[in-house]
Amino acid sequence: MSTAGRIKNATILVQDARIVAIGADIDVPAGIQVINANGNIVTPGLIASATYLGLVEVGSSLDTDDRSASSEGLGASFDVRYGLNFNSVLIPIARADGLTHAVVMPSGSSQTPFAGIGALINAGTGNDLLEEPGIAMFAGIDGPSSSKPGQSRSAEWIVLRRALSEARALQDRGSGSEPDPEVPLRRADLEALGPVLDGSMPLVIRTQRESDVRQAVELSVDFGIRVILYQADEAWRVAELLAKHKVPVILDPMANLPRRFDNIGARLEAAAILHRAGVPLALHSWEFQMSHNAGQELRQAAGIGIANGLPWEAALESLTAGAARIWGIEDHIGKLETGMIADLVIWSGDPFEMTTRPLTVMVDGYAVPLETRQTRLRDRYMPLIRGTN
Amino acid sequence: MTGPAHAQPVDNPFPSTYQPAAPEDTLFLDATILDGAGNRHERASLLIRDGRVAAIGSAIDAPGGVRVIDADGRWITPGIVDPHSHLGSGSMPYTPVELSAWDVNEIGDPAVPHLYVETTIRTQDPGFAAALSGGVTSLQVLPGSANLFGGYSVVLKNVPARTPQAMKFPKAPPGMKMACGENPKYNYSELGRSPKSRMGIVAGYQEMFDDAMEYRDKLARFRHGQGDEPSHDPKLAAVAAALDGEVRIHFHCYRADDMAIVLDVARHYGLQITAFHHASEAYKIPDLLVKNDVCSVVFANWWGFKMEVFDAIRENAAMLEAYGACVTLHSDSAITGQRLNLEAAKAMAAGQHAGLDITREVAIQWITFNPARILGLEDRIGSLEPGKNADVVLWSDDPFSTYARADLVYIDGALAYDRSDAAMQPVSDFILGQPARETRP
Repeated sequence: MSTAGRIKNATILVQDARIVAIGADIDVPAGIQVINANGNIVTPGLIASATYLGLVEVGSSLDTDDRSASSEGLGASFDVRYGLNFNSVLIPIARADGLTHAVVMPSGSSQTPFAGIGALINAGTGNDLLEEPGIAMFAGIDGPSSSKPGQSRSAEWIVLRRALSEARALQDRGSGSEPDPEVPLRRADLEALGPVLDGSMPLVIRTQRESDVRQAVELSVDFGIRVILYQADEAWRVAELLAKHKVPVILDPMANLPRRFDNIGARLEAAAILHRAGVPLALHSWEFQMSHNAGQELRQAAGIGIANGLPWEAALESLTAGAARIWGIEDHIGKLETGMIADLVIWSGDPFEMTTRPLTVMVDGYAVPLETRQTRLRDRYMPLIRGTN
Repeated sequence: MTGPAHAQPVDNPFPSTYQPAAPEDTLFLDATILDGAGNRHERASLLIRDGRVAAIGSAIDAPGGVRVIDADGRWITPGIVDPHSHLGSGSMPYTPVELSAWDVNEIGDPAVPHLYVETTIRTQDPGFAAALSGGVTSLQVLPGSANLFGGYSVVLKNVPARTPQAMKFPKAPPGMKMACGENPKYNYSELGRSPKSRMGIVAGYQEMFDDAMEYRDKLARFRHGQGDEPSHDPKLAAVAAALDGEVRIHFHCYRADDMAIVLDVARHYGLQITAFHHASEAYKIPDLLVKNDVCSVVFANWWGFKMEVFDAIRENAAMLEAYGACVTLHSDSAITGQRLNLEAAKAMAAGQHAGLDITREVAIQWITFNPARILGLEDRIGSLEPGKNADVVLWSDDPFSTYARADLVYIDGALAYDRSDAAMQPVSDFILGQPARETRP
């Protein structure tokens, strides 16, 4: 199944990690390994647009948590790329649930509102998760909270704007010049914003309230930068505006609870409304599950979106080609088309049903093992259950 | 497990004032019914009358004055029972007050068995209505896991109400929260006090049980004219009642080793544990759990958020079921609590994938009959059998499908939720009049 549509009884020919042919009438070369999909649905590998995969092993064990650089004095220049753990037991679980790529975010830095630079990872079995560093700059406009009392959202926007202004001024003055001492940002952090200003790196802003969503649009216009909204529960309220300015939204379709005053407007129809308005859409699952059950919960989130009005094809697109477009990787990832990297999943049924599982997951042209630490534990104790131990 | 002399009857000071809404006698035709009693009825009818299940079967005539609903293509299950919720105790929105001083735990004293969680319930928590839209008709709200003895739980009917008492399930057997492992250890280490270790935690149980036994004996002697009356101690009285079997023990415990130790402590004091909650390693000790007649209340797929849940696997529920152990699912979350049917789908599918024969009619029991059973309410709710409360969910589709929605939800035969009628969807006072909820013209 490609986003161009459905092809029935299709054959996909993979050579040297790429799709070299796809269609109903493909000549299969002799001597090639054949995987029979038996009429099951095949989709591109799924892309999670927000996770901490590779950065965290046990949520509450801070010795396994490389998400934040809040104690190291790094701001926008914090980059998750150096801390990715390809031996993390979370990766095979994500892979076995049909995830082939994920955006990995920093969770915070010492320079609010910046969190730092994220990366795109590849959930294959290679010894480097990193597929593409510098996928985006991340910032969070959260306003005051119990952990940040007195942190007005106005201050966060002011710091963000000043930082962008000074980073641009620094660019204009040339590399030998000194940053404005009035701006409380280090040179390295200002320089890290360069790719955001020249349009080569998007700025992901995690924010929820409608007023902040509007501020984010204004920011993108004022600085001529690419802004992506993340966790924007109230974005549906300004869907037309976002569509007009082509601001993508990464959304959790399950978010419907007023957990804070910032997301009183959260509702299950948000994904459908944004899609209908033409807003580029990618999905994430709730933070508690977005890494440890990255694939399964993302599929459920998409299913909930569908149950609340998001067309099935749009849901699939938001986890494949649509996400790839948002992250600027659409030239080689996210579609089942000739020339694309062979990342695909053969599903036992509808990928958005929890009763469905991947039968085959292919990353970079390799059918990866679907074994996980969890299936090993299961198999160790199964004889006790069956009375065959 | 009845002791020689009961210390005191469990006399809840906040009695239920729940009144069922007017029941709507209804006949559902041509549905697929998972009855919660282990059966699946195809193209079947369900009649509810006077707030109770009247009949289930293939040829039921519509008595006069009964609303008839064509349920062709749709599915019916009992109302979902969530045996582990914190809704209402720390109500949304979670302001800094909720986050820094959550009502769910009385942190500072590891043994507070005498607290009542209904004293924290805010009926206006928007999470109740969200859970109702997912078919949850009854739920147990428990104190948190910071303490060894956390206090009494409460069972609620998921109906809009002005007071916690008006949500309380009438005559529900009392339950008590206990906890082992990381949470009490962590909380008291933070406070720089005992118990800071698993050793301290186990000794804490023993000390409390010893004191409660002594208290119970003194009371018994006094009633037989021997010795002075012991001065009333609400903590010891609560634990003594538990030792007398009057209180159902809901024990927060993840690890197999922790559960095995707790079972030995319980056996020493003659305490019956009703259920281990979370029990992510229950699949490692199904024999012990069956032998001790303890149910496991588990997640479908949660794992890795702390060390003691690192070995959780998705097949846990299915493996327990296959072994013949009692198992239920639970939410522990306002997000998961809206879609326990999908938790059942995940847990069922994991079992099927591993080659275990878990059918929908069995898996639905994990969120209906089995939780009703551990709450001691299986004679009233949890299955669709004649005479039982008419807590019913009419689903748009197979409830194990992500696309299924609860179309209609009935509690005690009264329509509590209608997906097609905004007037029949409860709205919390907090939500009312919030411009952010309103659709722009």
